[in-house]
Amino acid sequence: MVRYVIRRLISIIPTILGVTIVVFMFLRLIPGDPAVAMLGEHATEENVARIREQFGLNRPVFLDREALKQGDLKGFFNTQYLLYLGRLLRGDLGNSIHRRIPVAETLAQRFPATMELAFFSMFIAIIIGVPVGIISAARRNSVLDSTTMVGSLVGVSMPIFWLGIMLIMLFAVTLQWLPAGGRLDSGIELKTITNFHLIDSLITLNFAAFVNALQHIILPTIALATIPMAVIARMTRSSMLDVMQEDYVRTAHAKGVAERSVLYKHALKNAFLPIITIIGLQFGLLLAGAVLTETIFSWPGIGKWVYDSILSRDYPIVQGGTLLIAFIFVLINLLVDISYGYLDPRIHYD
Amino acid sequence: MAEATPSDIVRIDYAVREHRSLWVDAWRQLISSRTARAGLLIISVLILSTVLAHYFWEYNPKTDLDYTLKLKPPTLIPNEEVPSVHIFGTDKLGRDIFRRVVHGGWNTLRVGVIAVTISLFVGGLLGMLAGFFESIEMTRLEKIFLLTFLGGLMGFIPAWIAEQPVQIVLFAILGATTVIFENFLIGKPARTILFGAIGLFIGGGLALFTSPYTAIVTGILGGLIGAALSLQLGGSLYSNVTMRAMDIVLAFPSYLLAIAIVAFLGTGLEKGMIAIGIVGIPIYARLVRSSVLSVTQKEYILAAQSVGEDHGRIIFRHIFPNVLSPLTVQATLGIGSAILTAAALGFLGLGAVPPEPEWGAMLGDSYKYLSSGAWWAVVFPGVMIMLAVLGFNLLGDGLRDALDPKMRV
Repeated sequence: MVRYVIRRLISIIPTILGVTIVVFMFLRLIPGDPAVAMLGEHATEENVARIREQFGLNRPVFLDREALKQGDLKGFFNTQYLLYLGRLLRGDLGNSIHRRIPVAETLAQRFPATMELAFFSMFIAIIIGVPVGIISAARRNSVLDSTTMVGSLVGVSMPIFWLGIMLIMLFAVTLQWLPAGGRLDSGIELKTITNFHLIDSLITLNFAAFVNALQHIILPTIALATIPMAVIARMTRSSMLDVMQEDYVRTAHAKGVAERSVLYKHALKNAFLPIITIIGLQFGLLLAGAVLTETIFSWPGIGKWVYDSILSRDYPIVQGGTLLIAFIFVLINLLVDISYGYLDPRIHYD
Repeated sequence: MAEATPSDIVRIDYAVREHRSLWVDAWRQLISSRTARAGLLIISVLILSTVLAHYFWEYNPKTDLDYTLKLKPPTLIPNEEVPSVHIFGTDKLGRDIFRRVVHGGWNTLRVGVIAVTISLFVGGLLGMLAGFFESIEMTRLEKIFLLTFLGGLMGFIPAWIAEQPVQIVLFAILGATTVIFENFLIGKPARTILFGAIGLFIGGGLALFTSPYTAIVTGILGGLIGAALSLQLGGSLYSNVTMRAMDIVLAFPSYLLAIAIVAFLGTGLEKGMIAIGIVGIPIYARLVRSSVLSVTQKEYILAAQSVGEDHGRIIFRHIFPNVLSPLTVQATLGIGSAILTAAALGFLGLGAVPPEPEWGAMLGDSYKYLSSGAWWAVVFPGVMIMLAVLGFNLLGDGLRDALDPKMRV
């Protein structure tokens, strides 16, 4: 088991390396110069050259063949990508070109915001989606079943940005029950420890801040959780229906085991493998959808930040942010694979 | 005991079912399901209305402008203030939203369909070859193709460093040569050393014209490439390389990747199609590969191989029809999600170039006016997106039930 985990962790390295190469290549292919984007169209050539020099943008991207011609082997490897990789190994993500502050610093503030929203949404999606799926499967073809299945199909088809706008319109503008955006009202003071507002406010026993943070997270959560909730409910239902045709479920029924026990102890345990798989996949989509949700709810996370940075050509931010999201995605897939072994003892890792 | 007469035999005939192909069967199954019928209905209404509008209901977005009708709510009966009928209201430039919604469908649906076609074609081909060569030994000719390609691909690096494109061709030829002499010195270290030396010569020798230092580096690279080519890794290598590349694409957050591709290609509908198409490739590659892997385990593939059918025929006659049904289902559902991504790109201002109507772009245009109460400009395009996606999801669901023989009673 430990060996399997180590091998999988090692297999992440080429994927992550590939991600850095692709990000690098794309950013340099996109027309537009970060130095010009920063200084404006009318910047003098010296100024542009100075900024390019300062951020190493004047170096070749991958390998410097001109330096090699002169026999300068060190110069050959002294390129934007390899320098970046070297700094990355030391944990340095570089500085934002526009704002001149370390990317890692802003990432540490913004990443928890995205993760708080993503985790909270996934939590809600699971605690509603799984039971709904189980009940639908248990009462197959009942009114309840067909209602939830039609409802979940509508949920899967929902453009989340549109849903977000509708929620703001109804609950924030018309009814004025909940705030339209942001993470906290400006008057609320909160000591930051983990930067997860819900956790921080609980640790410091700051209930006013907790309630305020909760109010802010409700609408984005509904918008973001709708699709995974619907997908999880559908997968739970179909997986449960599959398992409930198995002989051991019939045997359990025949023995007179209580319906509840059959459902949860016999069927659900065996139906959980595809459900876990879909949860892992949906988590990746959730992180991708963060760009839209964060734009609409002015949520200060990394999705919106990276999107803005693509448009302003702030390379280090795009590189750092994308790398982090890709890493989380790969890590979650690994967790899903490892969890198979716990859920199904027949699966062995070697 | 009476003997059976011919008329009796005719009478029993009703028990023998007429011959029906999988697709005829699936179609009957499909139209008998209520969800699939609903999906088909939604999709046909949308496609029909938008195609008819595109060809018969003239609309020029560039001249459509009337500030006196700015942001009017839905009007069914003309009055002094709004002299014309606008069942969906008007937007910030006084344009009729109903008209733009109907015409916008042409763009949104087209993006969805073409994007899926791109990912289906590229992903399907990559996945098909990966799955096929993972389980079936390559022929000599196929190996020559593969290694020529790999040689050229790897040769690109020294060729670039030395600024000598001819190296790509030479390394490709070296790749082919390793297959032609595949039994030469087989299993001996001498083989690796020999091909490594040839690689070293190709990489280093030519680069001497560029600079001696360059020659050292490209020589070492060439030697490594030659050694790697001599190892004769066949189909599993191809499959591994392809699927790792798919993993990398999949690890990207999909919207950000699409945004980056659009930023690279430039804004516009066609570019959006390509971006969404590329993002979708790994899904189809993975699906097709896993389906092909299970099909190639079947006896009929073994039978086809043993009667000497060539690989092209096995792929098209035996494997392709058997992976078509999961592919159809995934493609139908995929159109739905492609429409969602297309609308999202449009919403962010990276899709259709204004004033061209497109549902996502219409939403993005109007949502700033929400605070002034103009709900109609946001509600109707959004409902259309949802309906279109719902239609394809319903149809995909129905198709899955109809095409999956396991589910059939």
